[in-house]
Amino acid sequence: MLWLGLVGLTALLAAALPLPYAPGVPDLAHVAEPPFGAGAHWLGTDALGRDVLSMLVFGARTAVLLTLPAAVLSTLLGALAGGAAGFWGNKARLAVPYWLLAGAGAWWAVRFPGVGVGLAVAAISLGWLFTSWWRKRELASWPVPVNSVVMGAATTLDTIPRLVLVVAVTAGTGVSVSGLLVLLTLTSWPHSARLVRAQMLRVRTLPFVEAAQAVGAPAYKVWLHHALPHALQPLRTALPLSIAGLLGLESTLSFLGIGLPPDVASWGRLMATVRSEPGAWWTFLFPTMCLIISMISLSSISQYRPSAASS
Amino acid sequence: MLQPNQAAIDANNLLHVCLLQPDIANRKYGPALATSLPAVELVGDSLSKLAYDIRPTAAWDNGRPVTARDVEFTLKLMFCPGLPNEVARNRYRFIRAVLTDLKAPQHFTLVCRGQALEYVEASGDFFILPEAAFDPRGQLRRFSLVDLQKRATTAPPDSALQSLAQRYQAAEAGHPGQVPGCGPYQLVKWEKDRYLTFRRKPQWWADRLQPVPIALQARPKQLDYVIIPDAATATLALRRGDIDVYPQIPAREFARLRASPAAAALNFYSTTSYDVVMAGFNTRRAHLNDALTRQALSRFFDAAGLLKATQLGDGQRTVGVISPIEKENYNDSLALIPFDPAGATALLRQAGWQRGPAPGTGWTRKSANGDLQQLRLAMRYRAEGSLFSTVALQFQAAAAGLDIPVTLQPTESGAFSSSLKAGDFDVYVGVRKGNPFMFNFTPVFHSLGIDAGNTTGFSSPASDQLIEAIAAADSKTHRSQLLRRFQALLQQEAPIVPLFFLPNRIVASRQLTNLHVGSLKPGFMATTIERVPKPSAAP
Repeated sequence: MLWLGLVGLTALLAAALPLPYAPGVPDLAHVAEPPFGAGAHWLGTDALGRDVLSMLVFGARTAVLLTLPAAVLSTLLGALAGGAAGFWGNKARLAVPYWLLAGAGAWWAVRFPGVGVGLAVAAISLGWLFTSWWRKRELASWPVPVNSVVMGAATTLDTIPRLVLVVAVTAGTGVSVSGLLVLLTLTSWPHSARLVRAQMLRVRTLPFVEAAQAVGAPAYKVWLHHALPHALQPLRTALPLSIAGLLGLESTLSFLGIGLPPDVASWGRLMATVRSEPGAWWTFLFPTMCLIISMISLSSISQYRPSAASS
Repeated sequence: MLQPNQAAIDANNLLHVCLLQPDIANRKYGPALATSLPAVELVGDSLSKLAYDIRPTAAWDNGRPVTARDVEFTLKLMFCPGLPNEVARNRYRFIRAVLTDLKAPQHFTLVCRGQALEYVEASGDFFILPEAAFDPRGQLRRFSLVDLQKRATTAPPDSALQSLAQRYQAAEAGHPGQVPGCGPYQLVKWEKDRYLTFRRKPQWWADRLQPVPIALQARPKQLDYVIIPDAATATLALRRGDIDVYPQIPAREFARLRASPAAAALNFYSTTSYDVVMAGFNTRRAHLNDALTRQALSRFFDAAGLLKATQLGDGQRTVGVISPIEKENYNDSLALIPFDPAGATALLRQAGWQRGPAPGTGWTRKSANGDLQQLRLAMRYRAEGSLFSTVALQFQAAAAGLDIPVTLQPTESGAFSSSLKAGDFDVYVGVRKGNPFMFNFTPVFHSLGIDAGNTTGFSSPASDQLIEAIAAADSKTHRSQLLRRFQALLQQEAPIVPLFFLPNRIVASRQLTNLHVGSLKPGFMATTIERVPKPSAAP
């Protein structure tokens, strides 16, 4: 916890810390300088003359600002998808106009030819909805196989190793920091979804959920207010492990030189510089230590039980 | 002929032979496929005729002799529509006709426009391809060389030319060794990004020559080229004896290896080279189309610091694309471009740029049509190695000090070339390879080279005129004067920023002998190498 706090604090204060060198500025007079050598580079410089200490500090910021949001967002996405799949299974139904509206939205998003067709379908759907509301008629509905869709998507994603998938996407076109955040989020949610779905299958049969349904509460309210909070418990363990996994993935991508832009400091990128300067052990040792300690700390947090600690 | 980079040219040198080839050892062109340098005849004041004889023993693998028809076919193929030969077209446009003689099939005369000094070397510096393999029915003979050179891009497609282009491209794409050559080696195995294996032809025509000229020597029975992108891995392979020669070794690896115990088993070579590290600006971009802005940005490069950091000071700073070792052509009256961000500020203001009041707002100016331009740059460079990354980071840091944002775009080697050709960059960092013989800058700086080899898109009537005059210069003194003027013009217009000439460093196993190392590309001759015979065991 102390280490993670330190990393978090460093990440927050990185720009304000009185570091002697900026992370992306090469010191051409001191390239591959060992720690405490000339030029006041306390932890040395890498093969391009960049200050190792600055890169570690700003690498911590990258790690926190990229992997933490990615882990939280993917966990949230997984929780919502898994929670919905577990609660409704394949029995949910959706009114036909909503289906048509979704189809019109997809038409627009995919940019099929003939924008007018999409707009016309959307207008018909809205008209249908308004008429039904005005005449207080019940709408015809079609089934929505939430469980099949969510589990199918998760299984599809799981069939391709995550590293391969991310490398394939990033190596082809290159991504920005925000792009990488989205990519990590979209490829990391299945684990959370599976955990929450499994828990939801148990929770939805519990008496308090059945009681809420019996008093006539709308299904989405029962799901959101009663069932979901109880189904999220496994994520307390999964979230730190997800952060650790994403930290390792980001470092691997940066080590391979296909993750973040080259001027964004990263522990993995710093480790990679040892390949062009094999004698510069300090460019490998320090970021590796940071990575290992962070991973162990996150793993410890996932095993932490408040009740066990207090007893 | 479709050669994307120097490595491809080096590989092709083993498969094909030119009429003339440079000798690394004495830095002179000598006869290869030709029996001697061409006999030059000046016709009036605007034409020259270069008479060649192909060696009588020269033959293709099927035993058919190499003839003047093959030379004519090769030149015509350069101008065949549908082939991406823009660089070759600009380089060999001066050859207007090939005069052949039915009675002497291995004799021919090249008719050249102008009477330039360098025609002797330039007219023989291309691989000869077999007509019979690509155009067995002789369809290209219907066209004269001038017809093809003058053929408009809008001309209706000719089915014979189209099918020829398709045949050639199919042969190139299928297997690099599929294009038959009269060189000493055959490509027997290869795997993309891994290795190439060349095997010596058991019966090569040059074996019958006595003595065999150095350009035609082919001593190793097999040559394996291993592609190792990582310097540390390549060094390890050399130490373990997995490879025998490590060319273009980075400076620090060279120094480390030299100081290590492994040095006892290795030979170290370091010579000058004609490879200049430079940056280029995309002058087609509105914010980079004026010389003052480019001059200002040139001052963000710390060439002295970069030379020290990346080459340990070994190499030569330069004012232009002519190497300082070419003393008669190098313009030593020009000053080196200084690393001077303060001076850059003044130049930017002169160019009409104004810095925003708050940090992060950058520099803007109004263009002639009233549009607001923002000074922000995307810098493209090859991702491999630390040389280009260091240059890019240094430039980015210097520009950031003046609030000019620079986005770095490290790019894989193949994609880098196509990005430059497509003009997808603001600034690029790369290496330009030169030589001391030919100074035809048409492919790289002339308006004819735009959208082909002229990556910066820079041209002006004055520079075009000067480039043409250099290519057509008829004496060394005159050419030298023109080259000096050209260097001054390039420094003034600043489409490129030459930083420094690289040294040529090679490390080789001591078990090798006859390794000729020199300044000309590729820096050493692989075909003369022999292994030191192992001492026979005592009886």
